[in-house]
Amino acid sequence: MFKASINIDLLKDSIAALSVIVDEVRLKISSDGISVKAVDPANVAMVVFDLKSSAFENYEASDVEIGLDLIKITDILGIVERGSIVDLELDSESQKLNLFFDGLLYKLSLLDPSTIRADPRVPQLDLPAKVVLNGQDLRRAVKAAEKVSDHVTLGVENNAFYMQAKGDTDFVRLDMTANELIDLDAGDACSLFSIEYLLDIIKSAGKANEVTLSIGRDFPILIYFEIANAGGSVTFLLAPRIESD
Amino acid sequence: MTLFSVFVDTCNKIEETSSSLEITDIVADFFEIIDDDEIDVSCYMMIGDLFPAWREKELGLGPSILYEAISKTSGCSVNSIKDAIREIGDIGNAAFEILNKQKKMQSTFSFFTEDETKADKLTIRDVYSKMTDIANVSGKDARLKKIRILESLFSKATPGEVKYIVRIALQEMRIGVGEAIIRDAISKSFDIDPADVDNAYMVVNDLGEIARVAKTGGEEAVKKEDIEIGRPIKMMLAQVTPSVENAIAEMKSTAIEWKFDGARIQIHKNGNDVSLYSRKLENITNSMPDVVEAVQNSVSAESVILDGEAVAIDSEGKAGTFQDIMKRFRRKYNIEEAVEAIPIKVNVFDIVYLNGESLINTPYRERRKLLADVVSNCLNLNVDEFLITDSADEVYKIYEEALKSGHEGIMLKNPDSYYSPGKRGKNWLKKKPLMDTLDLVVTGGEWGVGRRANKIGSFNLSCLDRENKLCEISKVGTGLSDELLDELTEKISEKIIKTEGTEIEIKPEIVFEVAFEEIQKSPNTKAGYSLRFPRLVQVRDDKLPEDIDDIDKIEMMYESQRNI
Repeated sequence: MFKASINIDLLKDSIAALSVIVDEVRLKISSDGISVKAVDPANVAMVVFDLKSSAFENYEASDVEIGLDLIKITDILGIVERGSIVDLELDSESQKLNLFFDGLLYKLSLLDPSTIRADPRVPQLDLPAKVVLNGQDLRRAVKAAEKVSDHVTLGVENNAFYMQAKGDTDFVRLDMTANELIDLDAGDACSLFSIEYLLDIIKSAGKANEVTLSIGRDFPILIYFEIANAGGSVTFLLAPRIESD
Repeated sequence: MTLFSVFVDTCNKIEETSSSLEITDIVADFFEIIDDDEIDVSCYMMIGDLFPAWREKELGLGPSILYEAISKTSGCSVNSIKDAIREIGDIGNAAFEILNKQKKMQSTFSFFTEDETKADKLTIRDVYSKMTDIANVSGKDARLKKIRILESLFSKATPGEVKYIVRIALQEMRIGVGEAIIRDAISKSFDIDPADVDNAYMVVNDLGEIARVAKTGGEEAVKKEDIEIGRPIKMMLAQVTPSVENAIAEMKSTAIEWKFDGARIQIHKNGNDVSLYSRKLENITNSMPDVVEAVQNSVSAESVILDGEAVAIDSEGKAGTFQDIMKRFRRKYNIEEAVEAIPIKVNVFDIVYLNGESLINTPYRERRKLLADVVSNCLNLNVDEFLITDSADEVYKIYEEALKSGHEGIMLKNPDSYYSPGKRGKNWLKKKPLMDTLDLVVTGGEWGVGRRANKIGSFNLSCLDRENKLCEISKVGTGLSDELLDELTEKISEKIIKTEGTEIEIKPEIVFEVAFEEIQKSPNTKAGYSLRFPRLVQVRDDKLPEDIDDIDKIEMMYESQRNI
């Protein structure tokens, strides 16, 4: 059983964050809220998503799993007026999700969850450095790196966070000291990442006021931010490029 | 479950072996060690043909997608990958070299989760199932999704495995394993008469399937394979006859038919279900609703397989061009409009299956009788006329008539012969006039790959336009012996103006005399025409670029071939 109401902007942001990684997801619905774990087909990028029941206007649910076509629901949500409230109700009999908004009823067919890739194992990482910065600053760093290369180094050095990218001919580097950051836990951190994935991730993370990066040496990066006034959170994980043996 | 590395080791061993017999032994040994559910996909991958044509599945992977996937995995630019391929001459080997040298590779999460020791190594099935995933990708961002699937494969593979994944993805294995070797290996590994394997293959058209049947059911199961409605069989083919007199002498009497300039079509009817297949055994049913309807209305048999030639006709019933018919065969959208614009007539000349019985071991003259009883002629479907004779004069008379009516020539068939699927034998012969040749100048080319690495593999040819400027009309890559290719490459190397990737621009000095089957209108060449089946007749050292043929002559030839 699942019946809830949610602000359209929050719903759109949530769907957008998931769409960065996959086209189809398994939503785990429980009385506490909704959660998703998904990994992209190449096993390089992952998302861990949580939205607590308190983030909804109304929320009533028992444990159930549904399969959602993100491309389709993104398309539908495009016609919802800004600021509207969307009522969601699961019709488990017909495997449809009923959406009511602006006087409109839309019955969305659900996917069979067993046809969607199972939840990935999230690696347990002990990452030495933590950088907290504004989403805009992260976006700027990635966009700058994109100008010269298709991969970028992120790290911490001399009590500052840095981004560095080397192209065939050109070079770009950005340093942000502790003063320019919201917070910094310095540690041994320097890893190389694909720009393509980061560009997708900043579409969603770039909007957040505070983004926490956890970085190691040749280890995956963890990109964490809150949504819905701390009523939910999104964590992206991205595997690095590393020395092969 | 067999690891993909076993497949790779086998392929490497084959690559180093030149004797077909030894290769067959290697493949036969490999068939024995793999599992029952791996043999079919292993056959597809070894031959480099992942899905039988009639299954309507396409991989849709071109070199550029692979360059990009290799680039993303290795971090090397696409251009440097192209350069490496040109230098090494093979994309698989180039990928191996690049990845072997590479220091930083994209990792995946499995590297960071604890079960890394099991290090999910690729299995044979993994690789094939990812290829199937790629074939199933569609819609928005299809290209990107395909690249990501390839990346996920590459990231788990060793460079040596990538070499073969790349070749499998391009469906060009270059290890010299063709259908014949697979067939012999099946025969050897499971102790089955090669002729039985071959017969089964001609009707089933899926060597992987036959290998699986052989491995699980042995000789008996393979012998039981028979024609099935809805699964196309290979078409019987014809040779060019050296002379009408010879043909008659050999066959005693011969069945003469007009040879239509169209496209071969195989019709399957089962009750009201009709499916149609092209010569390559692609399912073309959806693009031919008019033919489907005609078959439903005019073929009386409950279940039947017919063989014929589809031709395009105009409103007066006159034959259209070969290109018109191809427009219909390949059409996926706006089919209704095409049906209206290009009506089709299928000239049926053979029947190979009738109401549950295979007719391939029934003589042609008997099959013809059955055919006449089964089909009632209508506008879109028609049993073509034929005549059995032993007089050369009569044959020539029909030949002249056929040419006068605008057809390609005639067919001479042995009336007592069986239908031999997939065979080009002496029982079916064709006679048609040879086309003119054109003198064209070489203006470009492309570096070859594989056996032709470091040679120019194909040449771009130009004619003169109305302002006496050169304009490209065709490429030619056949009719070139290895010696000639070496000679030309050396001669032309001095005349290269520009190289871009594998493409080169050449100073217009060398004149080729080129033969071809037909001139076609083409939006893809500067000249607006292109040549069908061009082949080099000779290098005309006696001619200068000024002496080559011009667009007016080509236009005239185009018009005249339409009005024969």
